[in-house]
Amino acid sequence: MTVDKQRFDRRDSVEAHEIILGLLGDDAVRETSLPELDRKPAPWESSMQATVECLSWRNVWDNLERRQTEDALGEDIYREFPVHTRSAIATAHTLLDRGVIDPDELQAKMREVRARFEGD
Amino acid sequence: MSENHSHDPIQEGPEVGEFEVLEAAIRELSIEKGLFSSEDHRRFSEWAESIGPSKGSQLVAKAWLDPDFKRQLLEDATEASKAVGVDWLDPTGTGTPSDYTFFYVLENTPQVHNMIVCTLCSCYPRPVLGMSPDWYRTPNYRRRLVRRPREVLAEFGLHFPSDVEVRVHDSNQKSRFMVMPMRPEGTEGWTEDQLAAIVTRDTMIGVALPQADWTAEKAPSQVGGPQ
Repeated sequence: MTVDKQRFDRRDSVEAHEIILGLLGDDAVRETSLPELDRKPAPWESSMQATVECLSWRNVWDNLERRQTEDALGEDIYREFPVHTRSAIATAHTLLDRGVIDPDELQAKMREVRARFEGD
Repeated sequence: MSENHSHDPIQEGPEVGEFEVLEAAIRELSIEKGLFSSEDHRRFSEWAESIGPSKGSQLVAKAWLDPDFKRQLLEDATEASKAVGVDWLDPTGTGTPSDYTFFYVLENTPQVHNMIVCTLCSCYPRPVLGMSPDWYRTPNYRRRLVRRPREVLAEFGLHFPSDVEVRVHDSNQKSRFMVMPMRPEGTEGWTEDQLAAIVTRDTMIGVALPQADWTAEKAPSQVGGPQ
């Protein structure tokens, strides 16, 4: 089940960043006027937490490495996004960056998920 | 079944969020590729949401009984937590949380009462206290505790004389805190399990004090408790 680490470096990190920015809409960016004092964690955040823990559990992406990646990316190229979205962004970025998922299949899956969620 | 409350459906926003879609896409692709299974994900979610405050209660009870452990807990709570099976440096080992961070235990004394809050969001020592209570995440608690701690404490039924210093500790991304309350009278000769039962969640947040005749394991009406 371990992903071949040889494959991880084949993509340019910048490319993953551009792909993710292209996939996320303008509404996704961080609120800049006030701290997010009144927000309540959304259900997807718990699910995301379970996903990253499963990735670590199954030796795909270690939790400590992920935390460090979240910090590094979240304070740099993804600083325009809210702090609570860092796990989702860092995971998407890393899986793209390592070639574990393909940009086209991520885009297709997001389209499929959105249609399903917005449907009946 | 009570007829006194409505069963209105949960109101959901009209739009599906960008990150809600991204999360589902990542999860479903990961499962399709065999990185982990749907069962893995469900098990982890169930386990993470089931964590309660028992590890924190055990830490306090051990410290009450063992001066050496108490010293270790106050000096290096991250390391001392391993005594109850919580390894903060290996979050997967404890479940949730991914709280790779530093953990500090704050000792209450006759002169100092400690409380914890997260003014910015809802940081909480989940591996030892479980999920935070709803009120802990409210702007009311977060905003007012740092400004008027005694007023907020009074709303929880807790009053201190003016010569007791009340200290509020604000969590952040890298630091989590927990209060070690004072051992109450009437607990002499108690076992660790007996002591742990009265170290409730709220006493480790700092909005309550442990009492020999009080536990959160039963409904208040079944315990009796303080009058």
